[in-house]
Amino acid sequence: MDSLIHAFGLLALDMEVSMQEEKERVLTTQNEFSQDLFQKQVKSVQENLIVRPSLSYWQDALRRFAANKQSLFAFYLTNILILFSFLGPFIWTRNPSHQDLNSPSMSPNMGKPAVVVDELAPVIPLFAEIPVISTTDETSDLVTEEKAIGSVQNFKVIGFPTTQNVVLGWDYVPGASGYVIYRNEVKPEDGALGIPLGDVMEGNQISFEDAQSLEARDYFYAIVPKDADGMETTHNTVLKVQVMTAISVDSAKSLGVSSEIGTHVRLSSSPLGTDSLGRDILARLMSGGKVSLFIGIFAAVLSIIFGIILGGIAGFFGGLVDDMVMRFTDLISGLPFLLCMILLKVILNVGPGESGITALLISLVILSWTGTARLVRGQILQLRNSEFIQAARMMGAKPGYLIVRHMLPNLIGVILVTLTFQIPSAIFTEAFLSFIGLGVASPATSWGSMCNEAIQSLLTRPYEFFAPAVVISLTVLSFNLLGDGLRDALDPKLRSNE
Amino acid sequence: MMTSKKMGIDFFSFGVKLTLGVALSLSFVSESSFANTKAPKTLTYALLTEPPNLDSSQATDSESFFIVGHTMAGLTRYDDKGNILPAVAEKWEINDKGATFYLRKDAKWSDGKPVQAQDFVFAWKRALDPKIASEYAFILYHIKNGEQINQGKLPLSQLGAVAKDPHTLVVTFEKPCGYFLGLTSFATYLPLREDFVTQKKDKYASSPENMLYNGPFKLTKWIHGASLRLEKNDKYWAQDQIQLDVIDIPYITPDANARFNLFKTQKIDLIQALSKESLANAQREKFKLKKFSDGTLFYMQFNFKKGRPTANKNLRLAIRSVINPTEFVSRVVSIPGTQVGVGLVPSWMKGNQQSFRKENPIPVPKQNLAAAKEYMAKARKELGQTTPISLVWLTGDTALAASEAEYFQNLFKTALGVDLKIDKQIFKQRLSKMRSGDFDIVSAGWGPDYADPMTFVDLFTSWNGNNHGAWFNDQYDKHVRNAMNSVDTKYRMTEMAAAEKIFMEEVPMIATYERTVMYTHSDRIEGVVRRVMGADPDFTNVRIKE
Repeated sequence: MDSLIHAFGLLALDMEVSMQEEKERVLTTQNEFSQDLFQKQVKSVQENLIVRPSLSYWQDALRRFAANKQSLFAFYLTNILILFSFLGPFIWTRNPSHQDLNSPSMSPNMGKPAVVVDELAPVIPLFAEIPVISTTDETSDLVTEEKAIGSVQNFKVIGFPTTQNVVLGWDYVPGASGYVIYRNEVKPEDGALGIPLGDVMEGNQISFEDAQSLEARDYFYAIVPKDADGMETTHNTVLKVQVMTAISVDSAKSLGVSSEIGTHVRLSSSPLGTDSLGRDILARLMSGGKVSLFIGIFAAVLSIIFGIILGGIAGFFGGLVDDMVMRFTDLISGLPFLLCMILLKVILNVGPGESGITALLISLVILSWTGTARLVRGQILQLRNSEFIQAARMMGAKPGYLIVRHMLPNLIGVILVTLTFQIPSAIFTEAFLSFIGLGVASPATSWGSMCNEAIQSLLTRPYEFFAPAVVISLTVLSFNLLGDGLRDALDPKLRSNE
Repeated sequence: MMTSKKMGIDFFSFGVKLTLGVALSLSFVSESSFANTKAPKTLTYALLTEPPNLDSSQATDSESFFIVGHTMAGLTRYDDKGNILPAVAEKWEINDKGATFYLRKDAKWSDGKPVQAQDFVFAWKRALDPKIASEYAFILYHIKNGEQINQGKLPLSQLGAVAKDPHTLVVTFEKPCGYFLGLTSFATYLPLREDFVTQKKDKYASSPENMLYNGPFKLTKWIHGASLRLEKNDKYWAQDQIQLDVIDIPYITPDANARFNLFKTQKIDLIQALSKESLANAQREKFKLKKFSDGTLFYMQFNFKKGRPTANKNLRLAIRSVINPTEFVSRVVSIPGTQVGVGLVPSWMKGNQQSFRKENPIPVPKQNLAAAKEYMAKARKELGQTTPISLVWLTGDTALAASEAEYFQNLFKTALGVDLKIDKQIFKQRLSKMRSGDFDIVSAGWGPDYADPMTFVDLFTSWNGNNHGAWFNDQYDKHVRNAMNSVDTKYRMTEMAAAEKIFMEEVPMIATYERTVMYTHSDRIEGVVRRVMGADPDFTNVRIKE
């Protein structure tokens, strides 16, 4: 329409120009005024002419879209997320299900140092020789009993402390009947010494091996001697130990680094850290994204197609067909999603421990088309009675031609917008179902199930939870913004702001 | 026949999902009760789940045992070291044929009537009554005719337990039983008063007013699904030794994070088990941590039913050889103090003189990938190479259960080429699947019912209803029967060791770990006892520091 107006405008200007020339000619022929009173007007009309190239519907939409910063941002973000999930694994080639129990629960890092160690051999505890106290009479015995047990002296690490083991040694405390060893992640205060690691039952044992769930971090070991009754005394000696990741010779070989015992190597980096089984979170995020985005896009596209077909039929034919289709739509929209999915799992014979993705996809498709169908039906009903359709019909256009040629192009905006809103809702449904354990089956993962795993350690290692949570939020947000932008661009009447 | 006490990893259920809402709504209920209980010496605690059944002859789980253990007193009791001490029975005589218990005269029910010998006889008959269908009835089979009565073959009156007079209880044994005394503190052996129970009928133990108590505490409030309250029982014979007035349980939540926060905000006095995730936080919060090995053995059990690939011995051997127990315990279970599971009998169990394991050593299992591959090749040949081997791993719905399953899934896939399908189920559902044999491998746990290796060894006999994997071995059965029918401790231990040897050769299950928990309690209380058997944690002798 715009271009038509432009054309008319040009025409009108042209006419004006030619009229002026005519007038001039008339004036000169009359010869009542001297020629030099007049000046020939320079033809400047062309300069005022407003020329705009003719824009098609799509060009116009694109222009609007590109002018909207918010939707452009959303567009780039969705692209980045899709590229991240589908092309990312070609750049970041770590296997998402590979478990490296040498380095579990690592915070985000760019390659932590490690040391190659031999297979663990049991450490034989050391014993001190107790100086023999000659007890000649009872009084001297009492004196030794009463002598207070002091704190442990010379508390030290024997050998190199690694996550494989930390061997502690100390000097024999006369009179001690044993020792209790504690380990703490923070500096002990007010008698809270940390995890009681072990009871050394003999007073003359002067070494202790800790090989219990060590992480590469700083530990504060505390040792408390026990008195003759086996009760802990109040003296504690604290030792700070920096523990380094240990990797076995085999893992060193598989990493392709020097496998000589004692060499310091650098572990492969994990920019987002590792989970409790030592799996790289970045790699899992990519592989989980593939599942999440695939479900989001695939389910949305299918359900939209379904919705267009049914809504189109209802709207176009109207009457009884419309009634039947719409009542069927009402029926479907009343079905509970979870129940439907669980029943589908039974029907599809999804065994225990198998992925529920197919059931999830099918139930998403069969249950989420109703909104689209209603929308399309409404639009078609409106279009059906519009003048240009009636004109086409009068000229003998058949229903197929009418739908494809006249109605669908007018619907495209609505459809695209619904699609972009359907995608995040499908992604969110998948995330939720995987979160409650109904979605993907291990070893496959998705963002939802990653959140589920990480929620346990939310207080201690929040980064494990934040990575998938942030990408879910970003995806949902970006698709929603994209939908918003598309709506503004495709249907200027519906613009939300401006 | 199902003894579900402490089965499974369900103590570590940390689901944050829906339980949070419940916990929040619960706190409303509790505030009011807090306000008017400031004066009495009160200990607050949070249960993991609602006690399913407080009827002592029908209780099967640890939460019910916790309540019953505080409100009831049996013939005997265990001290903190596992020694048997007198309780309602002042003294006793025991021999191969039977036992005679002399009851104390000052034992009273909470309504003031005395606890008499016939109360025990009635309770035992009731538990054995086929109409009651107690899952723990088998624990009374040591009493003469117990098994036949339970199967409905003999009338209840034929039970070999008689009240000679109100204070003398005479028990005749079915067969000589070397560990009978250890059973008498168990919930199923607790007394019940006939007139009261018959009057209440089905309502018995459904609410505080429908229960009678003879122990140190009585239940005074029970809002189902929300809260419980125990108060000191002034009719208890040793009530002057009980320093605590109230055990208040204003919260019931399986969520470890919620319990952690309740403790942090001083709403509860004790966390019974810190999850591996909250351990680091507990250190940061400067909680005083304590260690407790609760005696539960965790294992993977194989299914021997027809058509199950796990019935193949080489496959089981391959699985055993591929497991690296130290790595599993240290990196996956990851609670310091957890021990590698070695055999069928856990390491703490007493044998003849010292621990059963020390007397009958089994080498600590080690990973052997080469041997595993060999076994696997044989297994593939025997099972037919055409089908890729895929196994169903039945497990609980907890975080630890999930990471254990994923660890083994990855290990079996990479080292053996076996696909593991993880079937996560809630506790009840898992039990029902175990009963119906709907698994290839099930990850389960077993807590002891009494202090004898038999509580573990008889689990795999052909007559035990808990032998879910349906592994039957005549030789094994024979050795266990020999051990059951003798009172000679040394002989019994040798027989059980022989049974265990067959067990280790046939691999019907692989022990994975012996649980240790880290717990913490507030500074204001002392004297908390953690028990392997009976009420755990035991607050009976707790003192509140001023």
